[in-house]
Amino acid sequence: MNEDRLRRLLRDEPLPGAADAERRGRGVIERAYAERVPIDRPVLPRLALALAAVTLLAGLVLSPAGAAVRDWIGDTFDGGVPNARPALDELPGGGQLLVQSSDGPWVVQADGSRRLLGRYGEATWSPRGLFVGATAGRTLSALEPDGTPRWAISAGSAIDDPRWSPSGFRIAYRAGRNLRVVDADGDDDRVVDTGISPVPAAWFPSGLHLLAYLDGGARLRIADPDADKAMASAEGSPGTVELAWAPDGSLLLERSPDALWVREVSASKLVGRIGIGTARRIPLPTGAEVGAAAFSPHNETIAVLLLRRSDTATPRSEVLLVDPAGGPPRRLFAVSGRLSDLVWSPDGSRLLLSWPDADQWLFLPAGRTGRILAIDGIASAFAPGEPALASFPRIAGWCCSGR
Amino acid sequence: MGTERKLVREAQRGSRAAIADLYEAHWPGAHRAAYLVVHDAAAAEDIAQDAFLAAVDNLDRFDRRRPFAPWLHRIVVNRAIDWARREALRRKGDGPIAESPAPAPRQEVGEELMAALGQLPPEQRAVVVLRYLLDYTPGEIARMLELRRGTVNSRLRRGLDRLGDLIEVEG
Repeated sequence: MNEDRLRRLLRDEPLPGAADAERRGRGVIERAYAERVPIDRPVLPRLALALAAVTLLAGLVLSPAGAAVRDWIGDTFDGGVPNARPALDELPGGGQLLVQSSDGPWVVQADGSRRLLGRYGEATWSPRGLFVGATAGRTLSALEPDGTPRWAISAGSAIDDPRWSPSGFRIAYRAGRNLRVVDADGDDDRVVDTGISPVPAAWFPSGLHLLAYLDGGARLRIADPDADKAMASAEGSPGTVELAWAPDGSLLLERSPDALWVREVSASKLVGRIGIGTARRIPLPTGAEVGAAAFSPHNETIAVLLLRRSDTATPRSEVLLVDPAGGPPRRLFAVSGRLSDLVWSPDGSRLLLSWPDADQWLFLPAGRTGRILAIDGIASAFAPGEPALASFPRIAGWCCSGR
Repeated sequence: MGTERKLVREAQRGSRAAIADLYEAHWPGAHRAAYLVVHDAAAAEDIAQDAFLAAVDNLDRFDRRRPFAPWLHRIVVNRAIDWARREALRRKGDGPIAESPAPAPRQEVGEELMAALGQLPPEQRAVVVLRYLLDYTPGEIARMLELRRGTVNSRLRRGLDRLGDLIEVEG
């Protein structure tokens, strides 16, 4: 093809909505520029630097970004992050959220649009967000993200804790006290173990179909549901309510309401053996409640939500980033209030938390730069028609097209 | 180039006018490049915005001796390639029940051109866009995408041939 003609085609064809996109982008960039915190450069006299610092701090406290930085300086927010966006009209960081409301699960798209999937209970994303597994009493269903059901199976007991495998080919769930697995097309529903503890099972993160769970005696077990084979077991950490794998499968996290434990796990597909190491307690401030913990999607950093007693009836919530290999945790955020729901963005750049008393979602940058974004009016956004009665929804998952 | 360095320097010093000028100069190319690689208006807008936000976030660390546009375009094109790859994976599906039909490509921009570009892999689209929309040399493209120059040249040659096959000869 002629190069000049190709140049003309690429440059001259009108783009859809180009003017609107440019206008929106200009607003976003100008706001970001206005809110940035410049790095001091040693080119000004000290007095000028001091004056600039005072001006900067004053500006920070009065600006939305400043509201975020103010906390990092040492104070805490009280009653909500100021200058929050008034409504959920965009999902910072993109992707899709799965949100659990009293009416059922919702899918929230990157542009803030949302759809109630129907009268279901708990829900789980498929690994690439093309489907949702959802429970309703004794039924487990696979739905498209618009709510269209693809299949459903029934069990003899109430179904809880559905978890779609990272491979996309299996769904684990608990029916009463039985751990079961079904193929992702609804076939071959089978029991993996009976009499287990009511703690959600956790799929090994790679393509291996391995499940970690706690048996009825709270013993940690790893099973291969395809081979119907118990692979390994070890004494579980006391009071465990949640299990999670590091993204490379080398560590298993056990969270109890007052402690975090990690243990190394070696999985050899070739010899079909799993080695479970000794649990190691992660040092955390004494007396703190561990509200949530989650591995980064890309490394072994663990985000931890701590709830600490304060002089008032309101606890203090802190979000920490912890390296399980050791070293002091990094405090990311703190508020005077009770936060919940700690979820990583798919690209690992942000954390999403709920602040029910302030009716806000908080999007925290996980890195050392960036702005905290808060969105108001969350409860009513998931209670159409009865905002006055709205209860605060729970974040069930953030999937998958990180940007 | 001198003007651009001046704008970056002034933006580093806090000039809103400078950042507005940089935006005005570079948004159209960044947005168009993203669109031509991803073929999705919303994604292209997000990618271009993200690239500019990255520029703002890293403004203080930016080396003023280096040109701004290649740095911005490198972010845009790499993110666009990542997005296009992810989208291709999404269309392949999630497992045994994943037969959701792929969305039809957006065709607002010359249908023939977009359909033809859509036949190229994202990496090849990116090279074509960098060369024929943004006018980078094969050597510059190789550095931006961390490819060998020969790889860039062969992608350009194959891309041109393929587009020539797909787009009707101008009458």
